[in-house]
Amino acid sequence: MEKPFILHMLTTAKNLSPFDVNMAMDAGWVSAIPYINVEASEVKDLVQDVIFSRSPKGLKKTGIFIGGRDTKQARDMLKTAKNSMFPPFQVSVFADPSGAFTTAAGMVAAVEYELDKKFNTTLEGKNLLALGGTGPVGQAAAVLAAQAGANVRIIGRQLDKAQRIADLCNDEFGEGQINILAGADADKPDYIKTADIVFATGAAGIELLNAEHIASASQLKVAADINAVPPSGIAGLDAFDNGKEIVGSPSGAVALGALAIGNIKYKTQSQLLKQMIESDTPVYLHFEHAFEVARQIVKSTK
Amino acid sequence: MPKRSILHMFDPMPNNSPFDINMALDTGFDVLMPYSNVKLESIHGLTQDAIFSRSPSGIKRTGIFIGGRDMGLAMDMMNSAKQAMVPPFEVSVLADPSGAFTTAAALVACVEKQLKEKHNKQLKDCKALVFGGTGPVGIATGVIASLAGAETSLVDHMSIDAANDIAKEYNRRCQSTLSGAVAGSDEEKSTLIADADIIFCTAKAGIQVLSSDVLSNAKQLKVAGDVNAVPPSGIAGIGANDACIALTSPEGAFGIGALAIGNVKYKLQHKLLNVSLTSEKPVYLDFRDAFSEAQKIV
Repeated sequence: MEKPFILHMLTTAKNLSPFDVNMAMDAGWVSAIPYINVEASEVKDLVQDVIFSRSPKGLKKTGIFIGGRDTKQARDMLKTAKNSMFPPFQVSVFADPSGAFTTAAGMVAAVEYELDKKFNTTLEGKNLLALGGTGPVGQAAAVLAAQAGANVRIIGRQLDKAQRIADLCNDEFGEGQINILAGADADKPDYIKTADIVFATGAAGIELLNAEHIASASQLKVAADINAVPPSGIAGLDAFDNGKEIVGSPSGAVALGALAIGNIKYKTQSQLLKQMIESDTPVYLHFEHAFEVARQIVKSTK
Repeated sequence: MPKRSILHMFDPMPNNSPFDINMALDTGFDVLMPYSNVKLESIHGLTQDAIFSRSPSGIKRTGIFIGGRDMGLAMDMMNSAKQAMVPPFEVSVLADPSGAFTTAAALVACVEKQLKEKHNKQLKDCKALVFGGTGPVGIATGVIASLAGAETSLVDHMSIDAANDIAKEYNRRCQSTLSGAVAGSDEEKSTLIADADIIFCTAKAGIQVLSSDVLSNAKQLKVAGDVNAVPPSGIAGIGANDACIALTSPEGAFGIGALAIGNVKYKLQHKLLNVSLTSEKPVYLDFRDAFSEAQKIV
């Protein structure tokens, strides 16, 4: 009998996301098994139970997915999982808490593409505002953009929280190689005047950038919004927008809506889930790997 | 459409063990349903929901697996599931909390085999110690060895009371004749192992319980088995891959490593799951069945 493909899906939340389950099944995993309310301290035992119950050959058909809501926790669980294995008892692990890593990757890759196509430039040296950037998607997107050379500022309603998140991004995810700054929402009218790029990753239904802000953004090039539920996070932006010019932008900035970004996210997540199946050696995947894949997807589909 | 086989996996822990999941799917069950945080009181209802929702031919394609970390609770759950059956509405039940029954059965069967081959002895001629004896694998190892006739002690690393309480509890449950012992320091361990014929090591992974210095006091030692696959090994001188390695000792002792035992355990769990999947009549499998199958495998 052929051994089935088994994906052990760990989450710190009280349920898995049905999104991830559907994606896993469609990518070719035969069984998706939920482990809920998982604590960081339990990861090692769970992983060792996974690796010691199949032969090295069977382990090539075995994987671990890490969900949850918290980016740092997911990143740490990925590290713990990796460190709990010994050759040849190893399986691939993919962390994508709340889909945030693949969503962020999709967004940054799409923005990069528009910058190149419409403005013949890159993220290098650009001023980037991550509005509502304290959440999981905002954090990962800020890190990816900063790693690509952008001057990133995370904007939050409370400056101290935004600062804490910026520090976390710099120290934990960027390993001290990046320098993301923080800003308060109240100072947004000033920051927007020199912004080249805006990410809107706030909660659904909150307008983070209004028409007045856009009118004063004299060097804005690309604005991306991951909110698919009206009203959009950026005034005048539609979820379907995919490189359309924003009405009222003095600099001819273009918009990327949630569904355009979601399309890349979806393909990225699917491809990473397939990579786990197809790779001959175990892979350990997080937002940086998602970004590499998303970049290729954007290039090949547009 | 032929009915798919379903394994209902009842587990008192917050999550099922990925070990059991991999094994069950590799055995050929089409669908696994994890049930976590299951209480003993719920077993009756869950079992009846499993048996009354398929025809007697359909329930041949249905099984129940009982996991967890607690051997006594697993045995109680097994009894409760058995009592909930209403023939012909009956399904097979396999209990293997934390893989403890199959691991312990494989460990004792491997040791028994070397004892016979290398020293021409049987378990009933021997004095056995189980280090890590108060954990799930340790208790099951002790019970199996004791029921096979070995004079067996469960060794705790902290508390003699804990060891004695557990020995008493399982003697009552399983009609075994276990005793309790404690050994935390190297001196205590050295004294304790001086007259042991068999040493089972079922302590936590990655902890060396018996160093080579301590082991040199085991003057009677004939066979030692270690289930810890994570370096360092639980008993100095036994590598995880060793199927039977000579240890430096006066009696010519041999050691069996974790992956050699794991290999038997793996075949054993596969076999038991397969029996519950294919058996014409419902079967109820616990550590006793695990041990007799393990003896056949080795």
